Amino acid sequence: MASHTRRKLKLPDQIPLNPLLDLWEQQEPEGPDATRIYEFYRSLAEGKFVTTRCITCGKIHFPPLIVCPNCNGEDLEWIEIPEEGELYAFTELKLGAPVIVEDYAPFVIAVARFGNYPENGVQISGMMFDVSYEDLKVGDRVTWEIMEIVGPGDKTRYWYCFTRV
Amino acid sequence: MIRMREVAIVGAGITRFGVREASWRDLVQEAGKAVFDDVPNLDKKDIDSLFVGAAQPERWVFQTHVAPYVAELLGINVSRVISRTEVACASGQAAIRYAWLAVATGLSDVAMVVGVEKMNSKFMSVSQSSMINVGNREFDGVNGFTAPPFFAMVAQRHMHEFGTTSEQLAMVRVKNSYYGARNPYAQFQKEVTVEKVLGSRMVAPPLTLFDCSAITDGACALILTSEERAREFTDTPVWILGGVQHVDSAHTTNQFGDLSHWVGLRKAAKDLYSMLKISPDDIDMAEVHDCFTISEILEYEELGFCKKGEGGKFIEEGESYIGGKVAVNPGGGLLSNGHPLGATGVRQAWEMVMQFRGEVPEERYVNGAEIGIAHNLSGMAQLHHIMAYSIYKRKDLKQEV
Repeated sequence: MASHTRRKLKLPDQIPLNPLLDLWEQQEPEGPDATRIYEFYRSLAEGKFVTTRCITCGKIHFPPLIVCPNCNGEDLEWIEIPEEGELYAFTELKLGAPVIVEDYAPFVIAVARFGNYPENGVQISGMMFDVSYEDLKVGDRVTWEIMEIVGPGDKTRYWYCFTRV
Repeated sequence: MIRMREVAIVGAGITRFGVREASWRDLVQEAGKAVFDDVPNLDKKDIDSLFVGAAQPERWVFQTHVAPYVAELLGINVSRVISRTEVACASGQAAIRYAWLAVATGLSDVAMVVGVEKMNSKFMSVSQSSMINVGNREFDGVNGFTAPPFFAMVAQRHMHEFGTTSEQLAMVRVKNSYYGARNPYAQFQKEVTVEKVLGSRMVAPPLTLFDCSAITDGACALILTSEERAREFTDTPVWILGGVQHVDSAHTTNQFGDLSHWVGLRKAAKDLYSMLKISPDDIDMAEVHDCFTISEILEYEELGFCKKGEGGKFIEEGESYIGGKVAVNPGGGLLSNGHPLGATGVRQAWEMVMQFRGEVPEERYVNGAEIGIAHNLSGMAQLHHIMAYSIYKRKDLKQEV
């Protein structure tokens, strides 16, 4: 019987990680990846941490939105989140960190309240670095701080984290 | 008002839960075979509807449109209702709920429920990262705020407000591992001690590895039918008394309110008790969502088994063991069985069926049980689902209880 070579399908040397594992992807002002709350990210780049408040009913949102879920109003204004808040709860992620920030584990994850929550303030989660679980206690004063997310490639994006006052 | 028919579970089948050397398709076929073997009188042609509970097959096995695929794998043709339900960790009970509603309203006569999840693969860190999508990915997930940190903070707040201790948390695992050691389908079948739980690796303080349920593969299936046909299939039908769900508009941290009060569960329980005209005292056994040890403690409280803040004391005094006030997780819970998201809620119902039929080992048999509930939560404990099961039909429940 005549020998024959099997057909081969050669695949790429490397199949990159699923891009959905990039948690900061949605920060574009235009194009198919655009977000209508781009102002939020633009403000972060300028060192401001803002969110939306409904002019009609006064409800403060976090995350910022384009329609108020409380009254359906579209007349929203950007307000600054107070600089200082209170640590409501926290832990330290020692196992099972998301792939994209694995190199930074363990890190503290906290929930902090800024302003007079819930009536007139926000409750937000955030990472804390250079501090461990044992160093913190419920009720500690914290502040938000803007950080740069560098990469992949030459991309720079912006996010926030918490630091103890 | 639609007249609701009485609905029974007449068949139940399960796969071994764990880190399985089996694909998603294999698990579906195993569970299907198990339930068909359980109901020899069932002709597959009788099944007119199929509900598949599956949380993230798109991420973990890269397959979508899974309900028709399950129909093909099981060799059934569906002519009434076919659907896949997704509410993360409670996708399984949601599937049962819709099957119940379909049969109760007369839309379906014989409905099949399959809950399945394949979570283990060589891309383990990718699997874990996918859990981030259960919360608000853009605004919480991005901070690494996945399930273990969330429930760790629930535990921290509960300790802060009510004085609950790590030892009390560990006692939940000790109880559930005692029952899990007597469940041949469970992922973990070894008893553990309080010391062992406290000494295991820290995941997110105050929670250790043994305070957490695992990443698990597994599937479970049920057959539901109406009162008119139940006796064609079994002499021991288990009746669905009713079911409730409750969610407040809360998905992001800003909407959580106080972590140590699960208001949604409190409301769901109140609705269930008023629907059935029963009180927490009437419940003989409960399969509750112990994704973490702290969860079970809050569930004792919000389900009304004890006062708010006294969940730690409730386990410490042994009230949730068989023979206590109410037998909680006699099947070993999520902590022993593992937590294949879409399958968990279906496994809880499977446990109820096995208990009512008396087909479980004696050490974990809740003898004389008449009413049982299953509680399945999802997300950051915002969405709560409870179903009640009984050896009695709803209309035959003693109204004086």
